Amino acid sequence: MRRADRVAGASLLAISVAFSAGALTNHVYWGEYGPGPGFLPFWLGVVMAVLATTLLVDALRSPDPGAAWLPSGDGLKRLAVVLGVTVAFVALLNVLGMIVDTALFLLVLIRYLDRSPWWLALTLSAATSAVIYLVFSFWLRVPFPVGPLGF
Amino acid sequence: MDFVSNLALGFSVALTPFNLMMAMIGVLIGILIGALPGIGPPSGVALLLPLTFGMDPTSGIIMLAALYAGSMYGGTITAVLINTPGEAASVVTCIDGHQMALQGRAGAALGIAAFGSFVAGTFGVVMLMLVSPALARWSLSFGPPETFALMLLGLTTVTLLTGENAIKGYISMVLGLMIAMVGFDIISGDARYALGIPEMMDGIDFLPVAIGLFGLGEVLAGAEQAKSKPAIIHVGYGLRHVMPTAKDWVRSRWAIARGTVLGFFVGVLPGAGPTIGTFLSYALEKKVSKYPQEFGHGAIEGVAGPEAANNSASTGAMVPMLTLGIPGSATTAIMLGGLMMWGLRPGPMLFEKNPEFVWGLIASQYIANIMLLILSTAFIPLFVRALRVPYTILMPLIIIFCITGAYSLKNSVWDVGQMLIFGVLGYAMKKLGYSPAALTLALVLGPLAERALRQSLIISDAGVGIFFLRPIAAVLTTVAILAMLMPALRALRSAMRRRALANAA
Repeated sequence: MRRADRVAGASLLAISVAFSAGALTNHVYWGEYGPGPGFLPFWLGVVMAVLATTLLVDALRSPDPGAAWLPSGDGLKRLAVVLGVTVAFVALLNVLGMIVDTALFLLVLIRYLDRSPWWLALTLSAATSAVIYLVFSFWLRVPFPVGPLGF
Repeated sequence: MDFVSNLALGFSVALTPFNLMMAMIGVLIGILIGALPGIGPPSGVALLLPLTFGMDPTSGIIMLAALYAGSMYGGTITAVLINTPGEAASVVTCIDGHQMALQGRAGAALGIAAFGSFVAGTFGVVMLMLVSPALARWSLSFGPPETFALMLLGLTTVTLLTGENAIKGYISMVLGLMIAMVGFDIISGDARYALGIPEMMDGIDFLPVAIGLFGLGEVLAGAEQAKSKPAIIHVGYGLRHVMPTAKDWVRSRWAIARGTVLGFFVGVLPGAGPTIGTFLSYALEKKVSKYPQEFGHGAIEGVAGPEAANNSASTGAMVPMLTLGIPGSATTAIMLGGLMMWGLRPGPMLFEKNPEFVWGLIASQYIANIMLLILSTAFIPLFVRALRVPYTILMPLIIIFCITGAYSLKNSVWDVGQMLIFGVLGYAMKKLGYSPAALTLALVLGPLAERALRQSLIISDAGVGIFFLRPIAAVLTTVAILAMLMPALRALRSAMRRRALANAA
């Protein structure tokens, strides 16, 4: 965790400097009557810089490496798979359409995470997709992305 | 004002079969919307508003107000059971509510929340009825400095929720404020931090962020656990198990009382709604509690107070909307749009020319609160039973919920992408000791606070001094600054103590 704190501290410091700099260069700090759009962002950057420096200094000075925060082994693999499949879902949303994408997503993850038999995974994913379709497309009329099959 | 005859008129309107049905539908949909992350009361009201155009405005507002009340409770269900706030005002309930659930006391948490909500909601309606005229006149004197000071106080007290590491709490908060800066600046028309991307120019909405931070983040954290983690929580579904114990009641009663009163007044203030009411209530309860160390680990006051606060605040938020045309919260802002569309002008004229609208609404709110109490105590067991599904199956379903929720805000895949990014961020924040709640609150309040700040400085001759020259603002600002300094003082004191010990050794 200490390493994460150092990285976080340093990155936040860099971000806050860029933030404040951007505020001053692109926007007016103080307009005719009062604060301009650059006013508050600038000061937020300053405050964040102070906070980030404190965090960084604390982390640099601390002798204790702190608890590991990232999982390892199986846990890491599971996390990566869930995240990866979710990212793929979002990437394919406009390609496959919400309903099909949802069905595939559920099928893959339920099988992977729960190790349930195929028939259960299929039923659940089909049922959920249908429910989503009914609730959102029919009842709430939210226009979802449609895939090649028209829904 | 002759309350009795007005109420009689109101009940004659509210008790028609159609309006009773509208209230019931409103409460049911409200609970559902409150529970679903990604559709909060603002979205719910916005989505249902078009459906009300064909009907009498009174029926419409009855349903929407009932929805608002119901959603305050619906969010509690998911907050307690799966640590996912269904909407902003339930964020605080997650903290102790979910801990209680993990300790097997989900029923007590939900029960006390239901009861607290009923008490607070009813109190809210009574106050709405009695106090609208006078209170509206007083809150007219709230100018930008007072509004900003109140928001500053709300933001700083958030850090009391962040546990031991105040630095990380403040970082989370300031990060939220920085994110709030992205997008169009209303006052000047500048696009800030848009990086040339059109979607960024709209700014970063609170909902995809909150869904990502809390919903997806939690799922990712759960993903690394061993696979057959038993589902949510085992709650026996007899009514017995839903009831809090006698000790719970005793401990909660003052929390409910305080939350009710605090929530109402916070809700009335324009710009501050149920969400900030819950944060203040939680901070207050932690302050006055005999068991402050329990907070964050299942203190029932941490559920009772905020749950009462959000229901009285949501009712309170309707006071300025009806009397002044100034929304008391995001949801009431949308309701205000509805009023305009129906051709009704808020203000004293509304009470004069359309008494059946106002009093029908007030009477119906009494009824809606009763309905909510009955439905929430009856529903919990069913809901909970449905959630005994294994977590490994629930996880992908929750992710789908989050995705559809994030999407339905603006029919935008970009928002889904945002949700995803904040999901990863939320995971990291949780593991590293930051505060997603602080970030979220800052993101919600940021634009409003900035507007109040700039308006204050524009009208001020004394620069920042204006916040200390006006009495109400001065009080609020001073308390806020004290709240900010407390962690620093605490750290200083412990550093000095350590040095004293080292010297003595």
